[in-house]
Amino acid sequence: MSNFNELAESVISGNFGRVKEITQEMINKGVEPLQIINDGLIAGMNVVGVRFKAEDMFVPEVMMSAKAMAGGMELVKPLIAETEMPSVGTVVLGTVKGDLHDIGKSLVAMILESGGFKVINLGTDIAPEGFIKAIREHKPQIVGMSALLTTTMLNMKATIELLKEEGLRDQVKVIIGGAPVSQSFAEEIGADGYGSDAMVAKDLCIKLVGKAS
Amino acid sequence: MKFELFSQAELLQIHEATVEILKRVGIHTTSPRFKVLLMDHGCQEQGDRIVFTEDVIAKALKTVPASFKLYGRKDSHVLEIGQKRAYCQTCVGTPSMMDLETGEKRDATVEDLEEYTRLADALDYVNIISPIFPRDVPQEIILTIETATLLRNTSKPLSICVESARELPYILELLHLAAGGEEALHAKPIATIPVSPLSPLEYGFDPAEALLDVVEAGLPLGVEPCPMMGSTGPMTLIGTVAQHNAEILAGVIAAQLLKPGAPLTMSSRATFMDMRSGVGLWAMPEMGLAGAAMNQLGSYYNIPVAPGGYCGASKVADAQSGYEHLYNAMMEALVGSDIIGSAGSLDNALTSCYAMLVMDNEISSVVQRTIKGVEVDEDKLAVDVVAEVIASHGNFLAHKHTRKYLRAGELWVPPLGDRQTFEKWAINSEKVEDKARRIAKELIATHQVLPLSPEVEAEFDKVIARARHIEMGE
Amino acid sequence: MRFDFLSEQEVEQVHQATLAILKQIGIHTTSPRFKSLLLNSGCLEQGDRIVFPAEVVEKALSTAPKEFKVYGRDDSRVLEFGKSKAYTQTCVGTPSVMDLDSGEKRDVQLKDLEDYVRLADALEFIDVVSPIFPRDVPQEVIVSAETVAMLRNTTKPLRICAESSHEMKYIVEILAAVVGGKEVLMDRPLAYIEVSPLSPLEYGFDPAEALMDIVEAGLPLGVIPCPMMGSTGPMTLIGCVAQHNAEILAGVVASQLLKPGSPVIMSPRVTFMDMRSGVGLWAMPEMGMAAAASIQLARYYGIPSTATGYSGTSKLADAQSGYEHLYNALMPALIGTDVLAAAGSLDNVLTSCFAMLVMDNELSSVVQRTIKGTEVSEEKLAVDVIAEVIETHENFLAHKHTRKYLRAGELWNPPLSDRQTFEKWAVKGEKIEEKARLKAKELLASHQVEPLSAEVDAELKQILQRAQEHAQHGGGVIQKT
Ligand code: B12
Repeated sequence: MSNFNELAESVISGNFGRVKEITQEMINKGVEPLQIINDGLIAGMNVVGVRFKAEDMFVPEVMMSAKAMAGGMELVKPLIAETEMPSVGTVVLGTVKGDLHDIGKSLVAMILESGGFKVINLGTDIAPEGFIKAIREHKPQIVGMSALLTTTMLNMKATIELLKEEGLRDQVKVIIGGAPVSQSFAEEIGADGYGSDAMVAKDLCIKLVGKAS
Repeated sequence: MKFELFSQAELLQIHEATVEILKRVGIHTTSPRFKVLLMDHGCQEQGDRIVFTEDVIAKALKTVPASFKLYGRKDSHVLEIGQKRAYCQTCVGTPSMMDLETGEKRDATVEDLEEYTRLADALDYVNIISPIFPRDVPQEIILTIETATLLRNTSKPLSICVESARELPYILELLHLAAGGEEALHAKPIATIPVSPLSPLEYGFDPAEALLDVVEAGLPLGVEPCPMMGSTGPMTLIGTVAQHNAEILAGVIAAQLLKPGAPLTMSSRATFMDMRSGVGLWAMPEMGLAGAAMNQLGSYYNIPVAPGGYCGASKVADAQSGYEHLYNAMMEALVGSDIIGSAGSLDNALTSCYAMLVMDNEISSVVQRTIKGVEVDEDKLAVDVVAEVIASHGNFLAHKHTRKYLRAGELWVPPLGDRQTFEKWAINSEKVEDKARRIAKELIATHQVLPLSPEVEAEFDKVIARARHIEMGE
Repeated sequence: MRFDFLSEQEVEQVHQATLAILKQIGIHTTSPRFKSLLLNSGCLEQGDRIVFPAEVVEKALSTAPKEFKVYGRDDSRVLEFGKSKAYTQTCVGTPSVMDLDSGEKRDVQLKDLEDYVRLADALEFIDVVSPIFPRDVPQEVIVSAETVAMLRNTTKPLRICAESSHEMKYIVEILAAVVGGKEVLMDRPLAYIEVSPLSPLEYGFDPAEALMDIVEAGLPLGVIPCPMMGSTGPMTLIGCVAQHNAEILAGVVASQLLKPGSPVIMSPRVTFMDMRSGVGLWAMPEMGMAAAASIQLARYYGIPSTATGYSGTSKLADAQSGYEHLYNALMPALIGTDVLAAAGSLDNVLTSCFAMLVMDNELSSVVQRTIKGTEVSEEKLAVDVIAEVIETHENFLAHKHTRKYLRAGELWNPPLSDRQTFEKWAVKGEKIEEKARLKAKELLASHQVEPLSAEVDAELKQILQRAQEHAQHGGGVIQKT
């Protein structure tokens, strides 16, 4: 149906108002909520993902698309049971203790959201205890930690240690990133993955939830 | 944006030194025609030299056009000479070539000229094409063959340097054919022709005659001597600049006396020497500084300028070439340059290099971006945007101001340079020189040039055959 | 020589926009000490923000010193801030280094820091030394450890970056031990220390506190936030420059309110992002153009400044690094900055490279030559010389004017570049990067640094030990909650 096309197109062009309008119209007409999501909202976002990877779209445009999609989702959400909501997974994300760099981590959050993940962005300067608390509260499949300083990246290890102590390590996959971080460091501290940029982070998360589920 | 190497007082001082050189030392020429032209207009004979009077200088400088246009065979190639756009021109006359496959230096061939010209045609920020000098063509008609080859392999404007007036008729004929007749060529010149008198202040027979012929033919002239600090010019940079200015102005004056309003450029090339080894250098910083100085003088006279800039002493496309070429071009462009020559050259303009031309295309792009400067207005100052983002605890990425200016081209997009993450880059670990070489190969393999019509092609063959017959007795 | 990136009127426009930002939007801080300093001196509270009336800004600008000096351990190595000499500073804080032997990127070790500093000490046109960050020292006392390592391996002035105030006490003790006491240190600061508030306009606890500690210690302060166009600052270059100017001035104002006349440096770093990939860039031309604009504002205020300088996005010492570094350095240098930073860096200041430092030494040399300009005098214009040479049908080579100015240094002498004939060059066929790498090796093998006295060295060891003990008892960055 051409309406789905228009909805997807509006997501691609990041037209927040138009996405909400069409979604509402569809809801009023009684279109199946899951279909609105899959054939309209997510279909559009998938195109965005492909185009961004092909360097055909700019970061802020991807962000607008994600926002527009979220606008539509919000309207559909109340109509379906929580368990039916097609979410790829939940990710808790934060910059570690002592570290205030948040541009890269926020970009990762945005790209994950655009890929259909639910992201709990904790912000910066997050102590190991902060990650534990968020894991208990949001029950994510994945925890992502960001560090841009060689001093603070050691807190990634501290967080993983605390996860073990608290008996949570088996319940989540841990991924890390940030300029001084590397694959070998990830292995050294027992993380499940390392992402060198936001797109890699997304692919990594998809791979990890695939394994997890 | 404004960059001045000299204060107004200093500039005046240099100008006065130049005038004094023209008045006291003047020039020497072996062309009677050139001599008569100057004498008829008030210059004076002094021993074996011709000296200029303040009146002649002032009068001639008044008629030089501050701007003119240069065209390509394709309509979209229009260059506004005089607007200080820093158009990039390939290096003329290198006898050698860096082989694209082996990376070895060897003699330039006509096949190189074809491919190199085609590559330049494909590169967005290379604007004017000059020939390298192939060794495998009859040297008696080399300029004729070069001109034909250039016209067959690019639709961009040309710069053809003539050492003498001998081949000029053939060159003109080819240009007429390509432009669609003599009238058309006058209305829309597709080539500028520089001539090079000797330093210090010597207008030998060939360049003097060629200069007059180019002006008579109505094509934009370049006056392009090439003094060397400490050898054919004083050891002080500023002294060489004053002398260089005088020898260029002599040519400019002659052109204006012959035909007031004749379009031309001051094509400065002040070089220097490594005094330890005697190697002639087109390196930084002296080359760029002298070019910048000459440009400021050109602005003072309101005469278009065309120094050499994309050059250096490095023997390969490496980091040294990268910074040398950028230095010379930037210094000249910041002061204000219409054309910057020598693109793609290595080894003090002795060798042309495909990869280097691709790199110079990148440098030209950034230089041309730089001199556009930035606009300051309320919307761009964005105080309200800052206030909104902070009030909403948001992020600039999500603000529409960001998308607007991103799409409007606020950021420069490098035609060549690598900007990936280390991890992505490490997959191929390609140095920029290697990437440039790869791009050069790709472009040569794929780029299509606007062809000449079959009729014009056939006429070209006839012109070359005639040149062969007359110049070589074949 | 004069380079104006902006016209006078444009400078005024950006200045007015800056004042508007400070007055209408102001800053946010979580440091009560910083907050009360500002509020007690005429700034106003507005919601959760502190705004600056124009008078407060203007007054502070008038007390900031136009010139001051920073010294090296060696008396002859002095930085005269305020004279626009474009000193070159090594890049701070890169987590990685290019291994000099293997050419591979790897984590920085203490040995690298020592070697790198010693190489910088040996290079004539590197004037200020800043630390790369080693991974194999206790990270709680890393800045103290770096400072000691630098003092042992160079006699040049230092630039230290304090991410927080935790280590300030020890840094000051270390510097004081070397010059002979805290009083002497105030007169002869061995280092300037820079702090980084967040963009947009956020003075977090640590940078705010560190800023005040530095001023109180009497050391020159650098204010160095780092907005990114389109992400933590507006997408327009000039908009980002205006916001950045406001966040820097906020720090400048605070320093002057705390201690009028205390030496302060504006260190603008407007960066940007590849909006297709999200990579943070320190590349050309935006970095160099924004630096030119920002430095022009500092020049307008008469406040000393630093800019980056020798940076780019290339991953190795290649042609791209060559033109990127020169571009970014030349633009602010022509405006008239005091220090150009990031020498030796690659990959958007994430990696340090020995060969690149040797190459940047060359670029520094040509930049410093360039801003000296060209003197115009009758003798240099040489009209008489030209007349004589032509009259005698001689050659300039034979004229004494040539010998005189050659000896007087009329020509720049490249510390690194190759300028031989092709044939001579072809014997080795060496690219400049390779030549730079070999030169780095040679210098590291031969260069000796004047050592610290045994007593001072012992004292530094003690201070480091104390810092570490203190950290282990809960005073360090890591343990602090
Ligand atoms: C901007 C910046 C700042 C800003 C931060 C503003 C902000 N709101 O974030 C300010 C000015 C405040 C700042 C402060 C400091 N900084 Co800083 N900063 C930078 C800079 C220039 C860019 C970082 C950035 O945003 N990049 C752009 C983003 C998009 O890239 P990214 O962060 O790398 O993220 C990408 C990937 O890494 C990955 N990723 C990131 N996180 C995650 C997480 C996961 C789970 C995954 C999978 C992937 C992933 O995906 C992202 C998107 O593609 C870097 C240099 C650099 N080139 O990285 C220095 C740098 C990180 N900073 C440095 C330093 C030294 C400091 C200070 C100590 C300086 C000082 N004088 O005080 C302070 C420390 C403050 C603190 N306690 O955190 C050093 C680090 C030194 C070291 N070895 O530890 C660097 C390397 C610069 C340098 N050479 O000195 N800094």
